[in-house]
Amino acid sequence: MYQYTSFDKQFVKQRAAQFRDQLERNLAGTLGDDEFRPLRLQNGWYVQRHAPMLRVAVPYGELNSTQLRALARIAREFDRGYGHFTTRQNLQYNWIPLPKSADVMDALAAVNMHGIQTSGNCIRNITSDCFAGVAADEIVDPRPYCEILRQWSTLNPEFAFLPRKFKIAVTGAIEDRAAIAWHDIGLQLLKNEAGEVGFKVLVGGGMGRTPIIGTVIRDFLPWQQILVFIEAVVRVYNRYGRRDNLYKARIKILVKAEGQRFIDDVNEEFKNILERDIDGTEQIIPQAEFDRVAASFQLPEGVAPISNTRLHVPADAPTSFKRWTERNVQAHQIAGYRAVTLSLKRTGQAPGDATDSQMELAADLADQFSHGELRVSHDQNLVLPWVKESDLFALWEAARAASFATPNIGLLTDMIACPGGDFCALANARSIPIAADITARFEDIDELYDIGDIDLHISGCINSCGHHHSGHIGILGVDKDGKEWYQVSLGGLDGSALSGNTSTPGKVIGPSFSADEVTDVIEAVIDTYREQRTAASEKFIDTVKRIGLDPFKTAANAQRRTTAQNA
Amino acid sequence: MKFIDSSRDRWHTITGEDGPMVTLTPTAHSLLSHTQWNGVRNSWPTDMPVGVLFPNDADIEDLVDDLPRLSVVALHFPKWTDGRAYSQARLLRSRYRFGGEVRATGEVLVDMMPLLKRTGFDAVVLRHDQSLDAAERALRFFPGHYQGDVNEHRPLFARPPEEVYSSVEDFNQAGSSI
Repeated sequence: MYQYTSFDKQFVKQRAAQFRDQLERNLAGTLGDDEFRPLRLQNGWYVQRHAPMLRVAVPYGELNSTQLRALARIAREFDRGYGHFTTRQNLQYNWIPLPKSADVMDALAAVNMHGIQTSGNCIRNITSDCFAGVAADEIVDPRPYCEILRQWSTLNPEFAFLPRKFKIAVTGAIEDRAAIAWHDIGLQLLKNEAGEVGFKVLVGGGMGRTPIIGTVIRDFLPWQQILVFIEAVVRVYNRYGRRDNLYKARIKILVKAEGQRFIDDVNEEFKNILERDIDGTEQIIPQAEFDRVAASFQLPEGVAPISNTRLHVPADAPTSFKRWTERNVQAHQIAGYRAVTLSLKRTGQAPGDATDSQMELAADLADQFSHGELRVSHDQNLVLPWVKESDLFALWEAARAASFATPNIGLLTDMIACPGGDFCALANARSIPIAADITARFEDIDELYDIGDIDLHISGCINSCGHHHSGHIGILGVDKDGKEWYQVSLGGLDGSALSGNTSTPGKVIGPSFSADEVTDVIEAVIDTYREQRTAASEKFIDTVKRIGLDPFKTAANAQRRTTAQNA
Repeated sequence: MKFIDSSRDRWHTITGEDGPMVTLTPTAHSLLSHTQWNGVRNSWPTDMPVGVLFPNDADIEDLVDDLPRLSVVALHFPKWTDGRAYSQARLLRSRYRFGGEVRATGEVLVDMMPLLKRTGFDAVVLRHDQSLDAAERALRFFPGHYQGDVNEHRPLFARPPEEVYSSVEDFNQAGSSI
């Protein structure tokens, strides 16, 4: 993991002090609520349905066990004993009273954490592949680049008040596990024929009301120039992005409206920075700086290839262990090691939620089995990146005792869901009860296995925090006449290998369903797939692609009861 | 950072009963709208100090040829959360090497100070209800930053370690006292 320098540590502490100053002025009445709002947002404080929500940044999803224990302690002492891991690899609390917020920021700063730019119309926390640095299919480790980008974007004075939020995702593997095409800027690290490292740059992807896949603006940008190029993109956006309409303010709208002219503007701005600005070339990343940052991402002490190792499976190991190794254990760069996903998708808890004691247990597992390191995945699970194959059985037993061992990674119940209307003031409908119903309906692990790999994504409103657009099955909460309704879409693709390495928004299969119909609709869709697939090996998404939406629509419409009466 | 007291400011706008006057007689220290300036730029006396109020939705490039003649460029924040003028200021300084005053006008709040200073503003007209003390304190929170900016061109990574540090004040409880 990146090792914070004394500068980094001091910086986070000063940010906490600055926030405390702003909070004190707000509580004293000299900083009005409207003016405090953008300031607290840029520190991660939203005001939600019940209390403020705090979004804590987990830069590119990397956490150590000390940080996770601090997060657990904050959950216990300031919240109601739990937190929620998000698709952007952050952690959210829902119940902390605002007057306590500065104390929480101090507690976070003590472990080099913060909420800097986790909200607001600025460059948000940068996300990446949860298997960065360990993935077997990795071309370039994205973490040093992510860290350099994190530093560049942190309190960048020119880009603190953009037209709208701005999200960057970076991947360096063959498979895109960071959904980069769905981001304002998506970066794909690759090597050219000479073996030099560079970025493929996508711009203008996004979800929301107008789902758009990012456009490739550069096929190969030398890595040294990435800060300059991103500055050019964000500056063009800051100058010309729409500010008259909240729903048309994201960069995707500018890219779509301007097309080639946007690309030309960015390329000209890029050239101008390098050739004309007094400090244009200062931002070219020197090899020495890259090396300094990359040194933090060396292998943990003691990790080295282990030859002649094999997965230790006791003779009497239960099927559930075998399944767990199939679903929750991923291939690794280092021989003898695996990455292990701790599932945060289980009956009785909302997807991505963890209690304070679960966080502490995960921290213990990280210390015991993964050199104290964890990752937060885009799919809202935790990952232990450095597990010895020979430790897998022991880890499984420990993870099972802590309810982290549900062998469902990539299966239907490993769904993405936002907190929805139970917490979020923006939501039109609740997500958690829908997720809970579906989890309960598909509790049978044999059935889940038979259904196989599938992405189910649930958003409580069109802001799309639950990424419903990119789900093979997407569920979107909508509000009509003060009631909750749910739109179901099929065929969304997030860019992963399972999605055929492409990204596209799903198509809505008909008018919204009522809450009590949704789980039946999902079951009908799944049953249709199981009837129609050519073989058990044909994945859900491939059947959808092959036979189209109509058979699924018919099956879904047959579930209408409440909505049939209204029709 | 220069904090401008509007009642003592020697720079003045030229406004008629119906808004900015289009025909005007050159007087020293006039702060003209961009439209006004375009009307008089060819006839404005070479040695008469003049400044321009520039809107945040126009291209700052339009002003580049005139920069050597301008003492002040006043950029505008119609809303404090509209960040376009930060890019304008940055370009004025870093690209066009403007050495005159870059002034922030409009809805200028104390918490904008670090951003203003770092993007090249050197003068501000604070909104009337803002505290000068709080504005000055807002400039002192961070001893250093990651990126280069208009005042310090080098990013953190390009500076020698002994340079990046200065001690910081303890600001606890300061906010409630103002």
